[in-house]
Amino acid sequence: MHAGFRRSILAVIAALVLTGCGREDEAIRQHRQAFESLGSTMAAIDEAWLAGHLSGTFTVTALAQTLQLAEQERAALAASPEMLADPRGAQLSQSAERLSRLLAATIRDVRAADAGAVRRHLADNPLPPQGRS
Amino acid sequence: MSVIVDLILGVVTSIGGFVEVGSISTSAQAGSEFGFQLLWAVAAAGLMLAMLVEMAGRLAAVSKQPLAAAVRERFSIQFQIVPLGAELLLDLLLLAAEIGGVGIAMKLATGVGFQWWIVPIGIAIWTVLWRCGFGLIEYGIGLLGLVTLSFVVAAWRLGPNTHDLTRSLLPSLPQHDAVRYAFIAVSIVGATVSPYLLNFYSSGTVEEKMTEKELWVNRVTAYMGTGFGTVVSMGILVTSAMVLGPRSIHVESYEQAALMFVPAFGRWAIALFALSLGIGCFGAAVEISLNGGYVASQVLGWAWGANRPRGSATRFTAAFTLLLLVSLAIAILGFDPLQLTMISVALTVVVMPLMVLPFLVLMNDERFVKQHTSTAIGNGFLAALTILGALLAIVVIPLEVLGG
Repeated sequence: MHAGFRRSILAVIAALVLTGCGREDEAIRQHRQAFESLGSTMAAIDEAWLAGHLSGTFTVTALAQTLQLAEQERAALAASPEMLADPRGAQLSQSAERLSRLLAATIRDVRAADAGAVRRHLADNPLPPQGRS
Repeated sequence: MSVIVDLILGVVTSIGGFVEVGSISTSAQAGSEFGFQLLWAVAAAGLMLAMLVEMAGRLAAVSKQPLAAAVRERFSIQFQIVPLGAELLLDLLLLAAEIGGVGIAMKLATGVGFQWWIVPIGIAIWTVLWRCGFGLIEYGIGLLGLVTLSFVVAAWRLGPNTHDLTRSLLPSLPQHDAVRYAFIAVSIVGATVSPYLLNFYSSGTVEEKMTEKELWVNRVTAYMGTGFGTVVSMGILVTSAMVLGPRSIHVESYEQAALMFVPAFGRWAIALFALSLGIGCFGAAVEISLNGGYVASQVLGWAWGANRPRGSATRFTAAFTLLLLVSLAIAILGFDPLQLTMISVALTVVVMPLMVLPFLVLMNDERFVKQHTSTAIGNGFLAALTILGALLAIVVIPLEVLGG
């Protein structure tokens, strides 16, 4: 009875740990998806601007909005120490920071109408979409 | 001849007035995250709205009373305090979201932050409400709103697979993110079946002095107008699914949503999107403000009417002015218009039974609708959908908020 009780406690703890891990996995997946969406948004805006479909004013507005969303997402990721301690979370955080810097650089280059630089940034997207897992 | 002209105008303006901030946000998010899979939700919400709007018009044409006044007479003012409070609160949130939508449209067109536009937009809305009668508000804004047909044109230009579209009209379970799927489905219903539409439509029927003999006009306008309007909402979803979905872009801002027009319209994309969003939201903002005046006046027994000189209906004027002012204050605080929209449309579904169920009772009361009572099947269908929707919303809203 005593051993059975201990086994039950261990099973509950294991289930809680597994649930916690599952929740963390899910949270990292959601953050990754959000960053991929923002990276893809940046690429779509850049391509449309390069094709002459978007005005400079709208392109800067849209990129600035995307940067703001990326910063909000980065803050949400950084708010959880467990996630940053996870190697996948830490890597995601680094990629997200690169994405933010890339967005800032692209805004500057669009303002300067530097199509060559924007084209180069397009190839540097640190979070290309990988599809849903 | 005049009836036919009224009918055509009614249908056309229903199409033009259908799309607003809620339908654009929910359909764009649905398409970008779940492809065509949520088309059934748009179709079901459209059918619900058409049935409810037809009933609201029938009640008003036969009883010569708008919905809010009829509910007050049938159930007493004490009963109506809760639905009235809920409706005014929703109107407030939705109006703030619509004003934010117009502000975002201006931001897309000019690059100037949306908050700078809030006060000028408020003045423009109030000026329209002060100067225009019901016909001009309904027909003028509805005709301008035909620009939203550009969503249908965009979808048509992209050439979606008709087999996939047809298959998506049947509900199916998602392969990922079930809570998000349910939340967006609920939001689509809330964005489409806004309570303000029912009271606005019934008040309009009274303002236009529709008679019992013209019930067929009401039926055709309700079903055709809503039907074609639903097609516009579907156009948003399909365009978003075909342009944003494959790139894994999830719509979190209107700047992202605007990109859906680029493949179809090229350099005209942003201007067309901004026009559609701006006119759709402006029209809805005028209607919601006016509805605030209607509901408050009809429940509290004040003189009301958009066709009356404003000086002879001062409390009606004060009511819509107050609603507009409070909404402007909310909008100016800088809440994200997209998030404000999603919260308000999801909450709509939670409180919908409070408004729909008394309405269904009225539609079976011969003192109000004489021999034109509704069928048991129609009433049962609407009651079941309303209650199911509310229960689902109560479950998924906290899950979505906690998960998000």
